[in-house]
Amino acid sequence: MASMNMVQALNSAMDIMLGRDPSVVLMGEDIGYFGGVFRATEGLQRKYGEHRVLDTPIAEGGIVATAIGMGVNGLRPVAEIQFADYIYPGFDQIVSELARIRYRSAGEFHAPITIRTPCGGGIRGGQTHSQSPEGIFTHVSGLKVVMPSNPFDAKGLLITSIEDDDPVVFFEPKRLYNGPFDGDPHKPAIPWSTHPKGQVEEGYYRVPLGLAEIVRPGSQLTLITYGTMVHVAVAAAEAMKVDAEIIDVRSLVPLDSDTLCTSVRKTGRCIVAHEATRFSGFGAELLSIVQEECFWDLEAPIQRVAGWDTPYPHAFEWEYFPGQRRIALAIRAVLESA
Amino acid sequence: MSQVVFKMPDLGEGTVEAEIVAWRTQPGAQVKEDDVIVEVMTDKAAVEVPSPVSGRVVSISGQPGDKVAVGSPLIVFETGSGVETARSQPHPAPGARGLSSAAAAAPSPRAPTSAHVPASPQAPASPQAAASRGTSAPAASGRVMTSPANRRRAREAGIDLAQLRGSGPGGRIVTADLAAAGTGIGTGTGTGTGTGAGGGAVAVGAVGTGPRAEAAQVASRVAGAVPPVEGTGSADRTEVKVIGLRRVIAERMTEAKRTIPHFAYVEEVDVTELETLRLHLNASLSKVAPSAGAVAAARPALTYLPFIVIALTRALESFPQCNATYDATRGVLIRHRPVHVGIATQTPDGLKVPVVRNAQALTLHELAREIAAVSERARTNKSTREELSGSTITVTSLGKLGGIVSTPVINLPEVAIIGINKAVERPVVRDGAIVVRRMMNLSSSFDHRFVDGYDAAAMIQLLKEHLELPATMFIP
Repeated sequence: MASMNMVQALNSAMDIMLGRDPSVVLMGEDIGYFGGVFRATEGLQRKYGEHRVLDTPIAEGGIVATAIGMGVNGLRPVAEIQFADYIYPGFDQIVSELARIRYRSAGEFHAPITIRTPCGGGIRGGQTHSQSPEGIFTHVSGLKVVMPSNPFDAKGLLITSIEDDDPVVFFEPKRLYNGPFDGDPHKPAIPWSTHPKGQVEEGYYRVPLGLAEIVRPGSQLTLITYGTMVHVAVAAAEAMKVDAEIIDVRSLVPLDSDTLCTSVRKTGRCIVAHEATRFSGFGAELLSIVQEECFWDLEAPIQRVAGWDTPYPHAFEWEYFPGQRRIALAIRAVLESA
Repeated sequence: MSQVVFKMPDLGEGTVEAEIVAWRTQPGAQVKEDDVIVEVMTDKAAVEVPSPVSGRVVSISGQPGDKVAVGSPLIVFETGSGVETARSQPHPAPGARGLSSAAAAAPSPRAPTSAHVPASPQAPASPQAAASRGTSAPAASGRVMTSPANRRRAREAGIDLAQLRGSGPGGRIVTADLAAAGTGIGTGTGTGTGTGAGGGAVAVGAVGTGPRAEAAQVASRVAGAVPPVEGTGSADRTEVKVIGLRRVIAERMTEAKRTIPHFAYVEEVDVTELETLRLHLNASLSKVAPSAGAVAAARPALTYLPFIVIALTRALESFPQCNATYDATRGVLIRHRPVHVGIATQTPDGLKVPVVRNAQALTLHELAREIAAVSERARTNKSTREELSGSTITVTSLGKLGGIVSTPVINLPEVAIIGINKAVERPVVRDGAIVVRRMMNLSSSFDHRFVDGYDAAAMIQLLKEHLELPATMFIP
């Protein structure tokens, strides 16, 4: 075991996969010589060479399209989109080609491609460096969508994603790269070395897709979330001394609805929280599934905590970010109803 | 035309809700101001509510047996054209006649609330509108409001939610209401009981993955819940809804038996001398009566009761701890100087306890007259609310049905009740010889929290002394 932050854990995963599987290639803007804007691929080009770790032009459509071509011809590309906010030039390639290649070719071709991309706010990134577009991709049939909340899961999930024979969009909450974040920007930053999930195995291991994790067991209510909001939710529940069961979804597609629904059947109360905008967000899907599966166990209307339906504002970042206070209001709302 | 929404008035101090006993009008009917529109029952009294206006009844809210929160719309009137029916002092509750009570608390009636809204399609005159505004009025029609989990529990327990009254926001049925319906449904949900929140058998059915409908059937069979629908039943079985006075009696009896550790004490009293005095007084009364009707009216025939009340007032002078009421909320025992005697009275509707005030200041015949008067008013539903509350000790007598021994239930918040058994001639031993004497038992109950057995016994012995030597009760 070693103490790693999330960047180091991701780097370790890619390092291991480059070493284990000669078909794995990394590609993206400034990931090679420079080592990536967040240092996720630091040292890997030097270690594995320019033919394994490729610097690409600033053209996301080209990155995805090239990855698809490499993938159907036997390689296992890991493409980095520098910020999730930049993914849209590649959107057509992802939706129209990548997601459907197995279906369109009647199984003759498949695309074992992982698209890594940093997402979320909290770093004063403004509207072009803070978005959480995971819901857009969960809506596309044929894509797997993953978002880890800690270094241990990040490494294990990334290895599993790279080994998956179908496309995975792998979102990395960038506010969590260097430490867990409870939603209070005024507190001094905490390093991952203080968090149990900052202890990461140095070697190869997998965290399966489609498996949510109960981060904090509880009986009063179920709080379903993922990414940065996992830590905010835990802090809010502890501050309120509420016996909340907090579930980190981890893998949005495929979704571990069993774990979610088992919990809600137990508690009868449910909150869904994410940083992305609320309207048509992934939370709406979570809420629908809980409602369909657990309706007769619900004691109160399900609450949603999410970002506002606006672009992520630069000046009002902490008014936008769904912090502990907004989670507390939702907790109060579900507990007040009987 | 304008509509007047009349809301459930505050019918006495601290009243938060009242139960509808019977409607005296119906939608479409014309009512005149001061006509009785509905009989309601609070925790303290049954009251006939008069109409605040003249007009046509548009709608009524609630069925007999429903509890309606004070301030919730009760009835909507349409009043005459063009007339502004503003009525800032609608109808004072003192005008309402109290019909019954099971005790206590000085009433301080406030004027009922009423609101006026223009007649329009948007007029929030329906019970549904009331419910949505956060009162606890049950929706008279339309959907029952409750959580999905409670719907499932009700279904599995075989409960008809429409028969329940919601105590939650907006009249919503909460889990506690289901529990109160006697279903064995716990209120521990949200603290981890989860799917198995039903009663034992219910939980087993619901936890499994099998079809819920099947589980529900099994559960309802096992739980044996009875759908509390009025008017159901067959030749073998008649169901009577426990509402109105009967509900109040039931609640108060339960509370008394649950909270008060009753100490029972039975003593026999030789009433031979008292009987001689009583017969003498009644005989002299009948001699006077034919020629002086006024005197006869003032002096009804004497029963044992006025004698016992006089003797009791004298005994209580030495035992003030028995003439007391307990204020549980403040934890204070209040000893009363005046003796307000509750007279347990059987009425066609059930037990009522009208009160003879300041019994210690009344003469024998005044007492006899007063006892007869309050009892009669109770039997004929003519009691005022004041007359049905405020007693400090209660006397209960079954007359000819008095039996040998009884165990009376204390009339909360009092601390003592004196039960009178039947007076009969019995062989007793006096000075070594068996003689025939008229004997009567007193079966009394005391609140053992506040009255020690020793004091209770001594009080009854003093009462016995007064009754056996009747002259002593008239000697100050």
